Amino acid sequence: MTYALELSDLRFSYPDGSEALRGIDLRVAEGECVGLIGPNGAGKSTLLLHLNGILPEFGGRREAAPSMIRVFGEPISSANLGSIRRAVGLLFQDPDDQLFCPTVFEDVAFGPRQFGLVEANVREAVTRALAMVGLAGFETRAPHRLSVGEKRRVCLAGILACEPRILVLDEPTSNLDPRGRRELKALLAAIPATKIIATHDLELVVQLCTRAVVLDGGKIAADGPPVDLLADEPLMLAHGLERPHVLQHRHPH
Amino acid sequence: MRADLFDRYSYADSSIHRLPAALKLAVALAIVIVTVVLPVGRWDGFMVIALLLIGVAAASRVPGSFIVRRLVTLEPLALGVAGLAMFQPHGGRIFATMLAKTTLCLLTMILLSSTTPFAALLDVMKRARVPDILVSTLALMYRYLFVLVDEAQRMRRARASRTFRPGRWWTWRTLTTVIGQLFVRSTERAERIYAAMIARGWS
Amino acid sequence: MHIPDGFLDAKTLVVTASLAAVGVTAAVRQARAQLPPRKVPLLGVTAAFVFAAQMVNFPIAGGTSGHLIGGVLAGVLLGPSGTVLVMTAVLTLQCLLFADGGLLALGANIFNMGIVGGVGGYYVYRALSRAFGARAKFLAVAVAAWCGTVMSAVATAGELSLSGVVPWSVGVLAMAGVHMVMGVGEALITTLVVLAIDRTRPEILADGPTGLPLRGTAETVAFGLVISLGLGIFVSPIASTWPDGLEKIAGTLGFLERAVQTPLASAPIPDYTLPGIGSPGWATALAGGIGTAVVFLAVLVIARLIVPRHPASRDAS
Repeated sequence: MTYALELSDLRFSYPDGSEALRGIDLRVAEGECVGLIGPNGAGKSTLLLHLNGILPEFGGRREAAPSMIRVFGEPISSANLGSIRRAVGLLFQDPDDQLFCPTVFEDVAFGPRQFGLVEANVREAVTRALAMVGLAGFETRAPHRLSVGEKRRVCLAGILACEPRILVLDEPTSNLDPRGRRELKALLAAIPATKIIATHDLELVVQLCTRAVVLDGGKIAADGPPVDLLADEPLMLAHGLERPHVLQHRHPH
Repeated sequence: MRADLFDRYSYADSSIHRLPAALKLAVALAIVIVTVVLPVGRWDGFMVIALLLIGVAAASRVPGSFIVRRLVTLEPLALGVAGLAMFQPHGGRIFATMLAKTTLCLLTMILLSSTTPFAALLDVMKRARVPDILVSTLALMYRYLFVLVDEAQRMRRARASRTFRPGRWWTWRTLTTVIGQLFVRSTERAERIYAAMIARGWS
Repeated sequence: MHIPDGFLDAKTLVVTASLAAVGVTAAVRQARAQLPPRKVPLLGVTAAFVFAAQMVNFPIAGGTSGHLIGGVLAGVLLGPSGTVLVMTAVLTLQCLLFADGGLLALGANIFNMGIVGGVGGYYVYRALSRAFGARAKFLAVAVAAWCGTVMSAVATAGELSLSGVVPWSVGVLAMAGVHMVMGVGEALITTLVVLAIDRTRPEILADGPTGLPLRGTAETVAFGLVISLGLGIFVSPIASTWPDGLEKIAGTLGFLERAVQTPLASAPIPDYTLPGIGSPGWATALAGGIGTAVVFLAVLVIARLIVPRHPASRDAS
């Protein structure tokens, strides 16, 4: 079977020598929604940055063969980096880092233009993506005049405009007020792509994810159905997590 | 600084706002050129330009108080240098002319910037074949201006809230450390922006 | 020091715009050829940083405050080409968004603050830290920041004088005088900021964060020419407009005649006036420019001849 994502013994150290990933094995089937949870510094963001080939290129060293990461069966290499990045859409933690263009239109159009769409199709993709995130008509707005929730949705539109098959999201609900969080979750639930979501929002994992993966110290500590894992109080506490309120009255087994 | 302190009106709507940015830039340039080449003491010429600009200001519906406030903050600089013109024969006339010219040009630029979003001006530059690297530098600068100014203010406040030994030297050390930190953070942010750019296929 | 529109006349605007264009083109070329892709966002963010840094006010005395200009800070941090690009962006945005500095005077402002102040200041820093070694690095930063500020002010005074709006002697006394004092503040702030960066991220100062080679020969020549040509043009009016100020004093003191009677050498361009060019202001400026260019080339040739060439590895690092 071809997995959407396949990591085998992925290891990574930053240039300063700190080991961030110490052998990750993970297979994600198409259509799955994986919640990646764990304490701060567990290596969640580092792992996500590998999924469309940013990190090894960007700095640090990878310690084994590049076949450690496969996207739809293809090992990531410099030759297919373009198509991998189109297939894997990455939402960064800080929307201010990701929204780097002077208008919303320019920003959402950035990806499609890089992937070589003609201008008419770029416009169409932008309109469609903005409509999907509920921001139709925001084209000429300047990013610095948006709220955090709007910024994050524009970032998401910028990714959706590239029509990725896998969505990789780094803390999509952080810094959002409850309404913003609710709207974003509804939005994510409606997107059919395979999703990997790193988050501290454990209720999101229970509500959206089909599978939870606990990452700690650069290794996978647990992997299973969200309800089972998150209701396991000793496991949660051992990894700096806690049982979410929605599961307060449920017990594993 | 709140983001809308300066470009509060550039996203508003009026007959002037709706004109193409390239046209507005060209007209502004023409007005500034005419103003600059008018000889000393051509008061009638200055009057015509002033009336024209006042007409544009009225049509743009940018509040007069905003325009006047912007003028007043910029004028002292001009006044200081123009004052030096007094030290020569006919100094008074030269001084008055410089002041008139500067005020008209400032008014032109204030009107341009408060009726045109900066992104539209960037677009004009791109079409006018300004080198890519300059346009992208300007675009990123405009985008991160507000982020960094906010960041600097947050750092200042955080520092001030832990400062118990006020004194000029101490303040200087604090402020320069803030600027140094701001630069370090800026280089780190630039790295993250680069990551976000290549994540969407930039090469 | 942002010159607004309405101060400079047409010929000065054309000259400053041309000089700025040459400098900016040289910087763009070097960046296109040598700026690593991952450093492209750094230029924009650094430009935003310079702008944000300018908004931090420092208390001076009696409730007044001053702020950083940042040309030399950018110079020390980014090297010549990076500085020119960053300062060009800063000044263009300030002009278009805040009406701070004129549209036609943009060339003059880029020349004064970006090229003369920033690049000139960088060369002062480079020369001093070469001459006195790493221990004097921060002293070199301070002196460079002061020199950059004063040189910008002198160039500004020269442009105002060439435009005929402010007499040279008054302009240079006022502008340079004021900026000799302001330069102390600039030096202090710049040095402390560089110190703060050195303490937290020393590698930024060692490599230059843009990764642009700090000394490309073509750029050194281009920037050097632009600066010396510009200063030659703007500062040479001393020769023609001096009388209204210092010459009066000189005349009273009685050493004017002696000075005239004993020329040191017969200059190739007699008395700084080219024959056949009507307006004396123009002719002086042109003569000054040509003279400076000749001197610059001579110095460059001599330097090439007597200074042993460094191994190429230095530039590549």
